[in-house]
Amino acid sequence: MRAENYQQINHPPSHAFELNFGPNHPGIEGNYALQVQVEGDTVVQARADGGYLHRGFEKLMEQRLWIQNIALVPRICVPDPSPMEVCYSMAVEQIAGIEVPERAQWIRVMQLELSRIAAHLFTFGGHAATTGMYSPMFWGVADRDLILDLFEEFTGGRIYSIYNLPGGVRRELPEGFLQRVTDTLDYIESRLPDYDDLFFKNRVFIKRAKGVGVTEQAMALEYGVTGPNLRAAGLPFDVRRDDPYLVYEQLEFEVPTEEAGDAWARTLVRRSELIESIRIVRQVVAALPDIGGPLRTPIPNPLAWRVPAGESYARVESSKGELAYYVVSDGSEKPWRVHVRGPSSMHAVQVLEELVKGGRIEDVAQTMFSLDACPPEVDR
Amino acid sequence: MSDYNDEGSLLRPLRALSFLGRPAVTEPLEPRLAAEGYRGFHLNEHAECVGCSSCQKICDNAAITMVEVPELPNDEAKGIRNLRPAVDYGRCCWCALCVDICPTGSLSLSKEYVHTCTQEEIDSYFMLPNETGMHGTFYGKGWQKTETSDLLDLQRQEMGERPAELRVDNFDEIVDGFTPEQAMAEASRCVQCGMCHDACPTGMDAPEYIRSIYEGDLEQAVRWIYQSNPFSHVCGRVCTHRCEDACSIGVRGTPLAIRWLKRYAMDGVSHQRIQEITQEQRAAESTGHTVAVVGAGPAGLTTAWDLARKGHKVVVYESRQQPGGMPRYGIPEYRLPYEMLDRDIETITAMGVEIRCGEEVGKQVTMEQLQQEYDAVVLAIGLHLGRSTRIPGSDHAHVRSAVELLRQVTEEGTIEVPEEVVVIGGGNVAMDIARTVARLQRQQWGGVKTVVTALEAEENFLADPAEIREAAEEGVTICPSRGPQECVVEAGQLQSLRTWGVCSIFDQQGRFAPHYDEGDEQCHPAGMVIEAIGQMSNADQLLGDMLTERLEWDRGRLQVCENGRTSETWLWAAGDCVNGPDVVHAVADGHRVATSIDEVLRGALKHA
Amino acid sequence: MREGDSGKSERLRHLRSLTEIIDVAIQFELAAAEFYQQLQPQVSKPLRWLVESLAEEEKDHAERLGKLRYHPDLYQEIQQQIETPVTNLRFSDGLHTPDPKLLKSDQDVLQYALSRERLAMEQYRALAEATEPGEVKELFQWLADEEIEHKSELEKRYYALVHRGGGV
Repeated sequence: MRAENYQQINHPPSHAFELNFGPNHPGIEGNYALQVQVEGDTVVQARADGGYLHRGFEKLMEQRLWIQNIALVPRICVPDPSPMEVCYSMAVEQIAGIEVPERAQWIRVMQLELSRIAAHLFTFGGHAATTGMYSPMFWGVADRDLILDLFEEFTGGRIYSIYNLPGGVRRELPEGFLQRVTDTLDYIESRLPDYDDLFFKNRVFIKRAKGVGVTEQAMALEYGVTGPNLRAAGLPFDVRRDDPYLVYEQLEFEVPTEEAGDAWARTLVRRSELIESIRIVRQVVAALPDIGGPLRTPIPNPLAWRVPAGESYARVESSKGELAYYVVSDGSEKPWRVHVRGPSSMHAVQVLEELVKGGRIEDVAQTMFSLDACPPEVDR
Repeated sequence: MSDYNDEGSLLRPLRALSFLGRPAVTEPLEPRLAAEGYRGFHLNEHAECVGCSSCQKICDNAAITMVEVPELPNDEAKGIRNLRPAVDYGRCCWCALCVDICPTGSLSLSKEYVHTCTQEEIDSYFMLPNETGMHGTFYGKGWQKTETSDLLDLQRQEMGERPAELRVDNFDEIVDGFTPEQAMAEASRCVQCGMCHDACPTGMDAPEYIRSIYEGDLEQAVRWIYQSNPFSHVCGRVCTHRCEDACSIGVRGTPLAIRWLKRYAMDGVSHQRIQEITQEQRAAESTGHTVAVVGAGPAGLTTAWDLARKGHKVVVYESRQQPGGMPRYGIPEYRLPYEMLDRDIETITAMGVEIRCGEEVGKQVTMEQLQQEYDAVVLAIGLHLGRSTRIPGSDHAHVRSAVELLRQVTEEGTIEVPEEVVVIGGGNVAMDIARTVARLQRQQWGGVKTVVTALEAEENFLADPAEIREAAEEGVTICPSRGPQECVVEAGQLQSLRTWGVCSIFDQQGRFAPHYDEGDEQCHPAGMVIEAIGQMSNADQLLGDMLTERLEWDRGRLQVCENGRTSETWLWAAGDCVNGPDVVHAVADGHRVATSIDEVLRGALKHA
Repeated sequence: MREGDSGKSERLRHLRSLTEIIDVAIQFELAAAEFYQQLQPQVSKPLRWLVESLAEEEKDHAERLGKLRYHPDLYQEIQQQIETPVTNLRFSDGLHTPDPKLLKSDQDVLQYALSRERLAMEQYRALAEATEPGEVKELFQWLADEEIEHKSELEKRYYALVHRGGGV
């Protein structure tokens, strides 16, 4: 080229470096991609790229009998499958007008709260790992395993319990089970001081978590964030209290809130919820021996059962927020449409993008875990 | 929660030393035994499983394939297939819905949950579960069907029935029939396994018509029913329901009320509409062939129906004044109202079948004439004569045969019955005559004194248990294990039936060989003794000596090939006279014979 | 069997050797088979199978007796077998005997055959009673037991044909 033909092109100053968090990344909860542009250590932009866990559940459910779906729904949220089962059953029960017997309702509450405890233990572990502490992760997973032992006992499956169906639950509790629940809860409660020492009162963690990923209440409400994330921003909204289902009205529990809305506040909220869940389960264990009756309202032959035409929206409080099922029936043996409102859909996408912007690289993973973003719920 | 700004003491980390005093948490390396009720790999009791395929239908991942295991028994009449479920663990999600729907309860999940293999052995993930488990070691049953988890409704909808005191002095039909809600609930119990279809001699499309009833489409149900049985008003009431004996739900619960559902569907569509529906299957043109049928019972009329639909001209010769055969002349009105039988017959005649009543073969017309005038002849005369015990005194005028008496009641509307009657026999005919006589006694004497005596013990009676129960409710006294010895006659008057007790003995082959206890003698007072021990026909008399000699016989009955054709190429035989008394086998025979005749005649048509 | 029935007892009464007695018994069975063979064309065609089967059975009885006659331990065999009690069902004993020239139905044929067996049984029993205790007495007893067995077989067939609803 001749020198007179050379034109200098002025590129914009390029300080940003594109960093891929995910889809396979220890700092990502599940299979999810977060593309962040960093300048130095600061994140200037983030783009959440989901879909890796899209398994087509909602379409699959349209092509299966109402009862066959109970085996599908727990798989929508891997760490906390029980609310999925209960919520689907509740939605179908609403359309079909089925009353769930009292004993089954109490057992469902126990199942949901045990699942919440297990999910929170899992989340603490994950959150700690993102800040470089692995011991709480092993502790969390190990103690969660004891809860999974309980699930194995009364539902037959450790994680995907497939224990609920429209009408109630599938089998009675084994002999002596309530005592083992109490023992496990006692053990977990006895471990809380250790957790405090190691994790919750750990000055390193507190310094890492404070001020990270601050959600203002207004922003949270605008994006539809629910659950511990919203409660950590100061609004005490809990479906169990504000739109009670099952037997929550008869139970005593607090709805913990914090004001700061940062990762630390969210952690504190979850810690308090863990304690409240233990309290709820103890109340259920105390009440169950006196509640007899059937465990299920029988449904007609499931190979031929037709749910009358109609629609329903049923919601429960899962460990991540308000989980809801919108089910439409056209009067046939299969659902016409099932839509799952996974609570993480609200805070794992745009909210996450907003929160990591302006933060540091090392806080990206922590933000996601502190939000307890669950990609299987987002993608379904 | 304490203040997080509190720095705490410097010695805080020393609290970690407490861990030295705590027992270490250890888990063994070997897989531990799972909890009770765990959902592991499948187990299947091959002896209990009947191969109904319900597990395959409910599996939401299509993980189950039914495979044939030739060594296992396959018995259509009992509802047992030699198919067993094979599971693909690449698809199975261990939800245990298959266990909870299994009608026999043979499926369960074990406590075993470990399986590893190399890539070459990848097919090992597809296996046929048996009693021991995936690797031949039994780890114990995990998730099993419990009453709570069972997904099937094992109880049948109760058929409303008139109570005994309201039904015993009249001949009105005693069952109410299903209401639409009952029919829907009963039809929903069906798992569509098809055992009923396989067990029915006519190959009835029961799963299909049950499904149509469930969908509320009774006309479609009637269409399905008429594919296999033009006598469905009759069979919906009195069939011997082999289907229900084979029903999978009946293994642990009460079988589907397949017969009552048929009644519901047939009664639910108007007579006119049924005729319109059946006319849809009529052939457009006549074949020009003619067929004579001797006997207007279920076998004869089914043959006639099939042949008429195909366009042949059929004439039925009936010796009695009305068509219908045993359903009319043998089955009492309270089980089968004449009106419903007439509907079935009208639907058949509307297809172009001509029935000539009062024309008895052997009297008004001979077999030779039929052979000459028609292209084919079918003998369907049934077993219309009753057998006699031939005990001393059985030739008295007041010792009657049950079939003959039932015929008389049908023809004349009623008969005079004495105040005390004894019936000999434990089959359905005995129950029919006993309950008929009981009603007449109630009408004529104000009370019931009818006794049924039979050689067999009550649990071995050939009669339907429901019939025995209803008879007892109506005041009939059942005396099982009595052997008739003599009809006691004094001064020309029948006084009683003398019986000895029977010590029932089965020999090594299980054959029943009654043995008397002469010390146990009873006299049952009777103004009439009715013998209901068995039936026979007088086919050889009807056919005439020459034809009887020409034909081949098989153990006393006309020899027929599997299509019902006798050794004479123009003569077929069907129904009770060939296969013994049973209405649904008679209908099945009718179909087979009609198909055979049609093939032969069309063969002739092609050559013509 | 009407013909020569008193002659039967006469022929046997004076015999003393076991093998001789059995030989005569075999003759009787063969004569019965012959009788049924001759009866066949006299009954209507549907009944001939039954009559033929009765002829076959009588031949089987003769064969059985034949095997016994050549048994090395004849007397021991007989002793062993008469120790096993044989139940006489008496199921058909009350029925009257039809005329062999007037057999019109299968029930008639079987009734007739039953009466023959009963008569044979009674004759052997009478012979046994009239004989001094010893080998011969036991042989007559054994022969009576055999006839009871035959009769029982026929009674089972009779029951299945007549009393089970026309054969299912």
